Amino acid sequence: MVLLRIRNITRVFGALIALRDVSFEVNRSEILGLIGPNGAGKSTLFNVISGFHRPDKGRIFFKDTEITGLRVDRIAAMGISRIFQEPTLFMQETVFENVFSGFHRHYREPAWNAFLHTPAANREEAVSRKKAAEILDFMDLGAMRDELAANLPHGHQRSLAIAIALACGPELLLLDEPVTGMNPSETEVMIEKIRQIRERGVTVLIVEHDMRAVMSLCDRIVVLNLGEKLLEGPPDKIKNDQRVIEAYLGKQVI
Amino acid sequence: MKLPDSLALVKAHRYKWIAIAIVLIALTALPLLIENNYIKHLLIMACVGTILGMTFSMLFSAGLITLGAAAFYAVGAYSSTILVMNAGLSFWAAIPLTLIITAVLALGFGAVFVRNAGVAFVIITLIFVQVVVLAVAQVEFLGGWGGIIGIPRPDPIGKVNFATKTDYYYLILAMLLLTIVVFNALYSSRIGRAWRAIKLSPNLAGTLGINPYRYRLLAFVVGSTTASLAGCFYAHYSQSITPGAFGGWLSIYVQLYAVLGGLEFYILGPAIGALVMTFVPEYLRIVKEWEPIITGVLLLIVILFFPGGILGTIRSPQALNMSNLQSLLKWLKVLLPHNKNG
Ligand SMILES: Nc1ncnc2c1ncn2[C@@H]1O[C@H](COP(=O)(O)OP(=O)(O)OP(=O)(O)O)[C@@H](O)[C@H]1O
Ligand SMILES: [Mg+2]
Repeated sequence: MVLLRIRNITRVFGALIALRDVSFEVNRSEILGLIGPNGAGKSTLFNVISGFHRPDKGRIFFKDTEITGLRVDRIAAMGISRIFQEPTLFMQETVFENVFSGFHRHYREPAWNAFLHTPAANREEAVSRKKAAEILDFMDLGAMRDELAANLPHGHQRSLAIAIALACGPELLLLDEPVTGMNPSETEVMIEKIRQIRERGVTVLIVEHDMRAVMSLCDRIVVLNLGEKLLEGPPDKIKNDQRVIEAYLGKQVI
Repeated sequence: MKLPDSLALVKAHRYKWIAIAIVLIALTALPLLIENNYIKHLLIMACVGTILGMTFSMLFSAGLITLGAAAFYAVGAYSSTILVMNAGLSFWAAIPLTLIITAVLALGFGAVFVRNAGVAFVIITLIFVQVVVLAVAQVEFLGGWGGIIGIPRPDPIGKVNFATKTDYYYLILAMLLLTIVVFNALYSSRIGRAWRAIKLSPNLAGTLGINPYRYRLLAFVVGSTTASLAGCFYAHYSQSITPGAFGGWLSIYVQLYAVLGGLEFYILGPAIGALVMTFVPEYLRIVKEWEPIITGVLLLIVILFFPGGILGTIRSPQALNMSNLQSLLKWLKVLLPHNKNG
């Protein structure tokens, strides 16, 4: 079953065509890799899906509902969470508060009751606190819950970003380079976490440069190059494709 | 021996409530201990300043910096004056009506203003407060630049007839406490968390389903309405208002209260800042003409060297901005005459 449908997306920055007529689909409960050399347009596509950029052409459907051009918070509320390529956290808050803030869209009690601190609203918050602690434990951040996010080492900041996204309870999780800059053992742990996240029923669309990670993790892979979709298919097919190798080599030579 | 976490928390909680109780008793008993009417006046104005400073802090908590905190203070003052003097309402009926009027106005203006966060919002509010003042001054019905005099005292309730400063003190204290309770309830709820999220990272807040626009607008409306409550009080306390009282430096003062006390302390910061800024100049016997100049310089010093304000610097002294201090010292060395032969 198709969860996310990307149809003929084009996005232009001035004279630069960052995305040209890109189409593909993400199936429910799969881990789909999105790869391509630097500047291929991967992050731009994430920005288009999550509502930060409006596409110049094309449409996007999530669960058969069109989400093209919706506001960022509306798209998030529909069940799409994304982490950013650059560490984006509430740096001056504690690790716990960061994750706790992620529960915003779950509250059913009206804001007025939250303001009055009615028993029902307080109970709702207590549930969120408990779940936030669970998510922290799941991402191995339990011991750091009172640290400021800014003081965490890079790898833990990545984990925290994912923890916040999980707090949102997404159906689709967009990960932009979750293991880049990590050492092999950290990478191994993170890959395992992403697998577990999928087992919890979350569909994952992941951008990553670490090819070993991508190949071992993904069910299917879409390759972007210079804003165009080069090819898509299972890891084995992508690994040995001449065009993919050339795209990456070409970039390295330059 | 180390206390278990939960026990320590309960104790900390208890101390907090004891501290609050002591402060409340002290604030209530204060006018009984003070005979000097002028000092009572200063206390009253410090309370007004605290409320205004708290409105600045509320917008700041949502990532908005306003230089127009006085705009709706003026709207509140003029609105309740007109409602009482021209429409013949009692002061007590004029207050809720004024709050509703300001809330509607703030919603209308805010809907446009908060679309632009960042520098644009700062400039818009700066211009807005000046436009409000200039517009009021042009309206003959509002008394022009001369303002309105002879504004009646609040109608008596029982024996309290507002003939003394003490009565006014208790009125503004009640308003201040009400404001604190309401603001605290907001800050400690998911609304306050959403504000902080927007301030710290609008992008991340958006991906969590928080609509930055709507929450900024809420902060703007609540802040503006609260400022107008202080305005109602001020008009019937000073019994005369002029447009000039709301323009110029007032918004800068309000900002200074919050910045000096400590920007990260949304309630206590403005209180400390307003107290210091109201009483210190008096005791230093600073000439009125010099006050704005000293205020301006003080604001610059705090922003450059003590970004945490009084409370922030006490909490973590390392927050002192040493790099700025050092560059100031270097600068002074260059500037000060030194012996070239030596
Ligand atoms: N906001 C923007 N304004 C102008 N140009 C942009 C903007 N965002 C991205 N670009 C350009 O679009 C192209 C694609 O960028 P994008 O960030 O999507 O690449 P990427 O595939 O994520 O690369 P990387 O692997 O380095 O993260 C680049 O040439 C980039 O400079
Ligand atoms: Mg990128």
